[in-house]
Amino acid sequence: MGKKYVISRRSFLKKSAITVASIGFSGSIFNFFFSGLTPVTAAEINNVKKFLNACPRNCYDTCSIVSTVADGVLKKVEGSTISSYTRGKLCAKGYSYTRSVYSPDRIKYPMKQKVRGSGNWERISWDEAYTEIATKILQIKKEYGSTLPICLNKYSGNFDIMHYGIEGMLSSIGNTTRATGTPCWPAGIDAQTFDFGTTYCNDPEDIVNAKYLIIWGANPAWCSVHSMYFVKEAQKRGCKLIVIDPILTQTASQADVYIQIKPSTDGALALGMARYILDNELYDGEWLAKNSKGAEEFFSYLQKNITVEWAAQKTGIPRAVIESIAREYATTKPANIWIGYGMQRHTNGGQNVRAIDALAAITGNIGKSGGGAQYAQLQTWGFAYYAMMQKKPENSGGKSDRLININNFGAEVLNANEPPIKMMWIACRNPISQDPETAVVNKAFEAMDLVVTADMYMNPTVEMSDIVLPVTTTFETPGVNVSYWHYWLSLNEQAIKPMYECKNDVTIAMELSAKLNELEQGSCTFPVSGDLEEWVGKEFNEGIYKQFGMQDWRELKKGPIKAKTGLIAWQDGKFKTPSGKYELWSDEAKKFGHFPLPVYTEELQPNDEFPLRCISAHWKLGINSQFQNLDWMAAINNEPCLEMHPIVANRFGIKDKDQVKMYNDIGYIVLPAKVTETVSPDIVVVYEAWYKGKKFNVNYTVKAIPADMGKKATGSPGLAFHDNFVAIKKAQ
Amino acid sequence: MKKAFVVKTDRCIGCHACEMACKNEYQLEATIRWRKVYQLPENGLEAPGRYFASLACNHCENPACLKACPAKAYSKREDGIVIHHPERCIGCKMCMLACPYKVPVFNEKTKKVEKCHMCADKQDRGEMPACVAACPMEALEIVDLETTNLDKTRSSLPGFPDVSITKPTTRFIKPNHGIQVRREQ
Repeated sequence: MGKKYVISRRSFLKKSAITVASIGFSGSIFNFFFSGLTPVTAAEINNVKKFLNACPRNCYDTCSIVSTVADGVLKKVEGSTISSYTRGKLCAKGYSYTRSVYSPDRIKYPMKQKVRGSGNWERISWDEAYTEIATKILQIKKEYGSTLPICLNKYSGNFDIMHYGIEGMLSSIGNTTRATGTPCWPAGIDAQTFDFGTTYCNDPEDIVNAKYLIIWGANPAWCSVHSMYFVKEAQKRGCKLIVIDPILTQTASQADVYIQIKPSTDGALALGMARYILDNELYDGEWLAKNSKGAEEFFSYLQKNITVEWAAQKTGIPRAVIESIAREYATTKPANIWIGYGMQRHTNGGQNVRAIDALAAITGNIGKSGGGAQYAQLQTWGFAYYAMMQKKPENSGGKSDRLININNFGAEVLNANEPPIKMMWIACRNPISQDPETAVVNKAFEAMDLVVTADMYMNPTVEMSDIVLPVTTTFETPGVNVSYWHYWLSLNEQAIKPMYECKNDVTIAMELSAKLNELEQGSCTFPVSGDLEEWVGKEFNEGIYKQFGMQDWRELKKGPIKAKTGLIAWQDGKFKTPSGKYELWSDEAKKFGHFPLPVYTEELQPNDEFPLRCISAHWKLGINSQFQNLDWMAAINNEPCLEMHPIVANRFGIKDKDQVKMYNDIGYIVLPAKVTETVSPDIVVVYEAWYKGKKFNVNYTVKAIPADMGKKATGSPGLAFHDNFVAIKKAQ
Repeated sequence: MKKAFVVKTDRCIGCHACEMACKNEYQLEATIRWRKVYQLPENGLEAPGRYFASLACNHCENPACLKACPAKAYSKREDGIVIHHPERCIGCKMCMLACPYKVPVFNEKTKKVEKCHMCADKQDRGEMPACVAACPMEALEIVDLETTNLDKTRSSLPGFPDVSITKPTTRFIKPNHGIQVRREQ
């Protein structure tokens, strides 16, 4: 950069006497020099181009990005100023993208491993990789009469719509086995589906209109930094912020009132508040009469089964506090509740979300600006799914895809028979880091004939694969992105050429299809060629155009566009439940084996052997197993820690920074203690992440305990990540 | 004109966007951090909490780096910004020893020191420094100490080294504690 103006040390020394004297002169190159700048030449400016990108991570914020590319090199990334949600800013993860693209750790070409887990990799060509994979697929089909022994595990590593072409690729070879569901949020989605008909939230930019805001088990300060601005803005405009969480998070540290609840008792608090609201006639009877089903039954349940005193005992929150927030919440309008994903990762998580939803309903806070029970939205996801929708080849065997639970992946792979699972395709996913019961997942990998993983980095899942296919970053291929939280739609342009031999997952599908058809004509229906940007265009349909007020998807090349309608959830009062009302009483819930009303389900308790609950929350420098592996992140922090209250530390004879062994009956991890009063005295907290080169993985101790809900909307129940009971001791 | 950073710990959520934006802007070496986000020590707070201060060069009124440098590689602009000139730097690390805030960092590749220059070039073009522009919480600000009302700010925070030596220009707004309902039994 700036080579033309760089003064060599020799010439600089010669000139130094003059330059010192010339400080203060204007119009000379030395002003530039002394401003501390490296000047930019005209030639360079000509080669600088800006591109629009979108962050495709599994994150509320799904940022609209503007990339600066000079001479084909990604120089920097910025937040789009067009998006009033991104507001020209990215998070720490987003600002690390240049390093993610140019990381020395990128997988550069296809490789084959001699023995799984050995690290004995050798470079192979793409053609060799395709030949080996295609041959195996055809051999399996011949041996088993279908492609059902082939299992896909793909989820949220890249939420670009085109990436559903990975599912499309598997469909195009026949019926296969699919890891189905989502680890993140299913219990809450089902809860909202029973109550409202689907999960649907207000535009988060509307948070500023709230007069009372409860952030319940969410930590936007780490997981949704852009929303945190709107939270703070609401406070500035007079909104009172309540944060309910077992952890005094960064978000809770910004609250007007922080309430430290016993984990997994959120439903008891909500029901206790509801009872107080009922007894004091603070509910919105008019709204309930017009919009709800089952209010009488719910109130009757409250009167018979719930008292504020009981709620106080359950939750550990003094009765007076419960009464005070119940009164404030019911009488300050509009009042908004943000329901986090963390609080539903329990065996009673779905019921707890239903109880919180009920609070919003009985106070008439649904369908209003500044109000709502915000969990997520799926409204802006109505794409054509062109890449995903692929026909199965004729006579490829099997009646339909076989669905297995993504949240108990290892065991379900091992248990599958008739036919057994023999091959895995892993994309946008790192199950060995992220799935519970790592040891079982490892066994499942070991039982395979062939494991193919498409990834960017040598993560623990790649380490247990036979073939790794290097994939592009979001800057290297086109796509289109929306959020499950805000209402912006962003095009992702190809800003730079694919690095090394990396390819987009859809390109891989096309080329694999060509190979399959070369070996056996008609064995794969996936198109064998196509321009990726044209494919992006095919993801759009009339519904998306109407919702975003567009005529053509290329309009997005000017910048992200926000949905024109539907920004306040349920404003029209037309709920998507069977009755068309808000259903406090849900027969649909009953069909799925739940009590039809939002009732309290007893939370799991620790036991003598494993007396502490481990909460494995999200980490600020990563999203699941992404980002923390980068050296830019490692420079900030390269060591996980176990947060514990001083009471816990004393009880187990542990001091700050001591190495601690955290264990239960299935596994253990060793990591340094961080003694802090910001966590409850009955929990330990560890932040889940993949650190490059470290054995650390909290999921060594996490069992595949299902959450109560998730089956209806996502195909599999959620995962009770936070019902992980452990013991700790000072490590030797 | 005397430019200074204002660090609003009542708004900072410790997200590190500022320091990563700096790294993104200048494509710094992996281990080099011109800006760092520090967590405020819990024992210095009125109540437990997670509060942070984002710090870079404090562009001191009496910069120790400038005084200690034998190569005259530091200058202080009229607007107060302390600039390090890599072309003059001989990599002797005297500035690193002198700075109470451990701001100058040694680049093993260039064998020279480097540090935050408050995006002087950007400011000369009327733009905000990368960190300030990037902060999602607007917890960082550039002010002119000569014209800004500083009543709500303070010159130090618990854990911040003695400010009398170099007179750092950075100003702080202290954390804001809400009501806490905690279970300690």
